[in-house]
Amino acid sequence: MSVDWITVSAQIVNFLILVWLLKRFLYQPVIRAMDRREQRIAEQLEQARQREHQAQQQQQQYQEKANELDRQREDILSKAKENAEQQKHELMDQAREEVSDIRKQWQQQVEQEKQAFLKNLRSKSAGAIQAIGRKALSELANVELEEQVISSFLLRLKSLDHNTRKALTQALQESSEPLRIHTAFELDPAVRGRITRAVHEHIVEGIETEYFESEQLLCGIELNAGAQRISWSLADYLDGLGKQVEDAFASTSSSNR
Amino acid sequence: MNISPDDVVFWQWGGFPLNATVAYTWLVMALLTLISWLVTRRLSTGTEISRWQNLLEVLVSGIRDQIRDVSRQDPGRYLPFVGTLFLYIAMANLLNIVPGYMAPTGSLSTTTALAICVFVAVPLFGIAYEGPVTYLKHYVKPTPLMLPFNIVGEFSRTIALAVRLYGNIMSGTVIAAILLSLTPYFFPVVMQLLGLLTGMIQAYIFAILAMVYIASATSVQTGNKDNLPNNKLSNNNTDKAG
Repeated sequence: MSVDWITVSAQIVNFLILVWLLKRFLYQPVIRAMDRREQRIAEQLEQARQREHQAQQQQQQYQEKANELDRQREDILSKAKENAEQQKHELMDQAREEVSDIRKQWQQQVEQEKQAFLKNLRSKSAGAIQAIGRKALSELANVELEEQVISSFLLRLKSLDHNTRKALTQALQESSEPLRIHTAFELDPAVRGRITRAVHEHIVEGIETEYFESEQLLCGIELNAGAQRISWSLADYLDGLGKQVEDAFASTSSSNR
Repeated sequence: MNISPDDVVFWQWGGFPLNATVAYTWLVMALLTLISWLVTRRLSTGTEISRWQNLLEVLVSGIRDQIRDVSRQDPGRYLPFVGTLFLYIAMANLLNIVPGYMAPTGSLSTTTALAICVFVAVPLFGIAYEGPVTYLKHYVKPTPLMLPFNIVGEFSRTIALAVRLYGNIMSGTVIAAILLSLTPYFFPVVMQLLGLLTGMIQAYIFAILAMVYIASATSVQTGNKDNLPNNKLSNNNTDKAG
């Protein structure tokens, strides 16, 4: 156990050389490599972080865009629905109007046809009834009936109201024509005298009278003084009947409407 | 029986003998340098690295971590010195398994040389760290009376370091030799394994102690400024370790 100082100095030199060698070949390169790797990893991490950040931003943007698109789509859809609804209403209204127009036209047409038909029917039926009545009454007319007609007429003359009588008198005085009396049948001179007397008594004293026969009067008698006229005739009744029939048809058709 | 590799002289040139210590030291140096050069020739900075590079990186970063743990400072400045101490001693002891090889660390000359290196390095690092005046004031603290004790402590520390390593390695070799003569074949193999283990531990202890001394030379002053109790504690620790 001894210390060889030459060896010691040699070993010191050796050790210092080894320190330099290892520093040159081991520590520096290895540490540099590790540092570089760390730096690279840090850079990569930083890049990854940035990329993630960007990706998040982009995702957010896309999300916003998607939301916007959704909203727009909703808007468009709702607008389209509204439009469709409105159009539907308009079309429905139009269709309804058209239908009602057509119906009105049709109803008018029907009404017109009905009116025409009714008019036709009215006139025809009135005419027919009148004709039947006339025929039946003209066949039925005899002396007794004529007597009755005359007495009814006289009764009417008697019961004339003041105004009518005044108007008659005035009409007779204004016209110079004689008082005309139409009958459907031939009158006896005695009957004529009775009538003339009644006229003188109730209307104008001493007026001239003329007698005519008229088939149209139909079992009746008529007194004409200018525009004024007093009569009793079955034709009047028949005219009234015709009028009544027409009124009846008119009321039925109006109630049908 | 040659106990010290100093006594095995391969070649003599004038007054300078080329003994086994120096020769095997060169072998260790060559091996370390060659391996380092081969591996660091193609270093990868990516995430894919070779096994050898991985090994070296583990070694270097492990040493750096140890230095940082002990000194609580940036390891960059101390790494070449302390790391080389560890790698050299470890490699020198590891090669013991090769027949015919004699560990240079089994020579008191080598361990003395390493201890002297530490002895010189400690004040050098201290001066580099805080300047010569501040560092030298350190020897007359707490009072100038302590100056001789501080100097003695410095020397005794160095000698202890040298003898510790030498004793361990040499004793391992000696025990193996004695056992080989007494009970050949099997038991010496076990002792050889034990020797490998001891060699590694010694490499670790030597490097760590060197680091502790350097750290105490550089960080004590800082500790004094900052916090007295902590500083005392670390001083006590250092003394115990020494």
